[in-house]
Amino acid sequence: MRRKLAMMLICAISVSAFSGCGKSEATEDKGDATATENTIFSGELEENVTIQVLENDTAISKGYFQQLIDAFNKEYEQYGITAVDANMDQYLDLANDGPYGYGPDVLYQANDVIMQYAQGKHILPLPVEKLECYSQVPKSAWQAYQVDIDGQTYTCGVPVNVQCPMLYYRRDLLPEDWKDNWDKDSNDVPDMVENWNDMYAFSVDRHNENGDTYGYMKSLYDVYFSSGFLFSYGGYIFGDNNTNPEDIGFSAGDSAKGAWVLSQLASTMNEDCIDDTITTNAYSKLADGTYFATMSTPDTYTTFFDELVNEYEADGLSEEEARAKAEENLVMTGIPKLPESGDLKEENPKLIDSKAMGGVNGYAISSYTKSPNACLAFVDFATKYDMIMLRNETLGISPAREDVSNEIGGLSESIYEKLEKGNIVLMPSIKEVAQIWTPGQTFFTDIAKDAFRSDSEKKYKDIDSMRAGLEEMCQQIHDAIFTLE
Amino acid sequence: MIKSNSAGKIIDTTLTYVCLIAVAFIFFFPCLWIVLASFSKSGSIYSFDGFFPTSYSIHTFKKLFTDTTMYNYPRWFLNTLFVAVGSCVLGTLLTILTAYTMSRFDFKARKPMMKSTMVLSMFPSFMGMTAIYILMTQFGLINQIWGLILIYAAGAPMGYLTQKGFFDTIPKAIDEAAKIDGANSAQIFWKINLPLSKPIIVYTALTSFTWPWSDFILPKLLLKEKDLYTVAVGLMSLDETEFARFAAGSVFIAVPIVLLYFCLVKNMVNGIAEGAVKG
Repeated sequence: MRRKLAMMLICAISVSAFSGCGKSEATEDKGDATATENTIFSGELEENVTIQVLENDTAISKGYFQQLIDAFNKEYEQYGITAVDANMDQYLDLANDGPYGYGPDVLYQANDVIMQYAQGKHILPLPVEKLECYSQVPKSAWQAYQVDIDGQTYTCGVPVNVQCPMLYYRRDLLPEDWKDNWDKDSNDVPDMVENWNDMYAFSVDRHNENGDTYGYMKSLYDVYFSSGFLFSYGGYIFGDNNTNPEDIGFSAGDSAKGAWVLSQLASTMNEDCIDDTITTNAYSKLADGTYFATMSTPDTYTTFFDELVNEYEADGLSEEEARAKAEENLVMTGIPKLPESGDLKEENPKLIDSKAMGGVNGYAISSYTKSPNACLAFVDFATKYDMIMLRNETLGISPAREDVSNEIGGLSESIYEKLEKGNIVLMPSIKEVAQIWTPGQTFFTDIAKDAFRSDSEKKYKDIDSMRAGLEEMCQQIHDAIFTLE
Repeated sequence: MIKSNSAGKIIDTTLTYVCLIAVAFIFFFPCLWIVLASFSKSGSIYSFDGFFPTSYSIHTFKKLFTDTTMYNYPRWFLNTLFVAVGSCVLGTLLTILTAYTMSRFDFKARKPMMKSTMVLSMFPSFMGMTAIYILMTQFGLINQIWGLILIYAAGAPMGYLTQKGFFDTIPKAIDEAAKIDGANSAQIFWKINLPLSKPIIVYTALTSFTWPWSDFILPKLLLKEKDLYTVAVGLMSLDETEFARFAAGSVFIAVPIVLLYFCLVKNMVNGIAEGAVKG
């Protein structure tokens, strides 16, 4: 018995001895944010180091990232600083992998992701005012990366591009007589891409002409895209400029009108709008002409474009001809205006601007990096005018820098203006935002399902019941946030 | 009487064949579908005409092996092969040794060890994933293909009971005869029992190979770098628009398993036959 006990003790001691081995970063106290900022970013570059950069997949596949690191490595060759591809999945788990030394040094992510890491102190607050891009990026974009701790504001990311929903449509699928019948204001822009009332009417017509084709199609279940309709009529996510999770505002103002607009749009679609199907099939369905229009973010332009090129090539065009034709016919434009009344069947409605949920993608620096100053130098380099301009040329992003946006003009400038005007509602940068998605999906799914239910089975029969549904959704979000806290 | 018997036999045979064909079709259809999808020209699942692609091409297979900027399938394939072969060799050796020891040697801790392993093997392997992750970080084996091999090989002997059952069927009298002729324990194992155990070795090798070949959870947990991914993890990381590439990758991953099966099944049958004659 005594021998057995001794053996057990030896085993226990061995296990605890082993568990003490290895790196100790996981338990290191990262300390106060102010101290970190002042002491870590001393300005003295760490020499002869390799920094791992996690970039966006599209930037890698289109070759932009290679150009960026080549240019950076050439510039910083004298210090022996080399930037390399972190070679990781873009949906990494810095909170779990970082402490053990397996995360990247610099990461490119959306503001909501970065700010969740910021709250867990997995990324460093940055001395952003030292960066070249500081004065060129609007205040609203910087705010997306700011966090208040003990009354002090820290900025944890550097904005690169603004993401917001855009309308994609095929010019060659417009009716031949669109200039006569679908351009009331004779501005050479089809009415159906200018306002939702005409988009609704066109969708009904197109489907009636051919039961296999549709006008506007989008997964309504997608909170990111659907919530913009609520915001346009006075809804919001969190109060106090998206910082107060006690105040949940999806049902505020006349947001129920937005839900009503969605329910009317659902009636012109098929049942794929209930779940995520349209989000994934839109590329090929827009290319083969089944859908006339859909909504997506600017970074998916190349995917829509490639699908359309494939379709034209399958029709017998050469690659060059197919690309030229796709460039001419695939249009990415702003979201149409909404009727103030919320009634898509209203003739000559008073129109209001559409708002949309958006995000700011940018760079952040991991708290676990051993070369913070070299990382900051990389971020500074990657956000300079030349690199952001190159990024736009290669990837078609809408830059957060004002000078680049002005230079490019067109859509980028209009997105920038929307951001400035507040028509792009940036995703909140607090961790509670994680609780809005599931209740939101449930509500929007029911709105979409109602279009395919008989009148007696509909969950939301009128605008008042939609308002009640939105209030219930807010309550569910509130419960989720404060139960899980 | 004879006539009605033969009619009954025909009906019975026909019904049996209909049932077998129906069941075979149910199981074969998904395989057929994924094979056809891998040859889809459009590359999108949404351009299918009903269940099947509208046009076919080998373009996706070409792309699978040549377009490696984002998705390095050849590299993933080699990683998987390395992990599976390593785990197979090491795992088979450890399992056979464990099973033989438990079958042939009588020692004090034998029964408690057998009971413990039986209880432990009842728990699903993913239960220990968090502990494995933390241990592997402490040993610096994250992002190490060898780390995976060690875990698979170390876990393999937990399922030694089948192999022990096989060794139990080989008469101990053979061991005793060899001992009388002057053979030691190692010689008895290598020269007498091992040649008689070909079928179980083949079975063990096959199962030790297929588990790491198709496993997803462990490689996903331990391999962070894309270039170290196994095929299962790599295919899961494909973009939603890459369906044809996913299908082609899934079809190609089946090739080694099928080849291995056809190569080993012959040895397995031969081994069983040899064992029967000698037994």
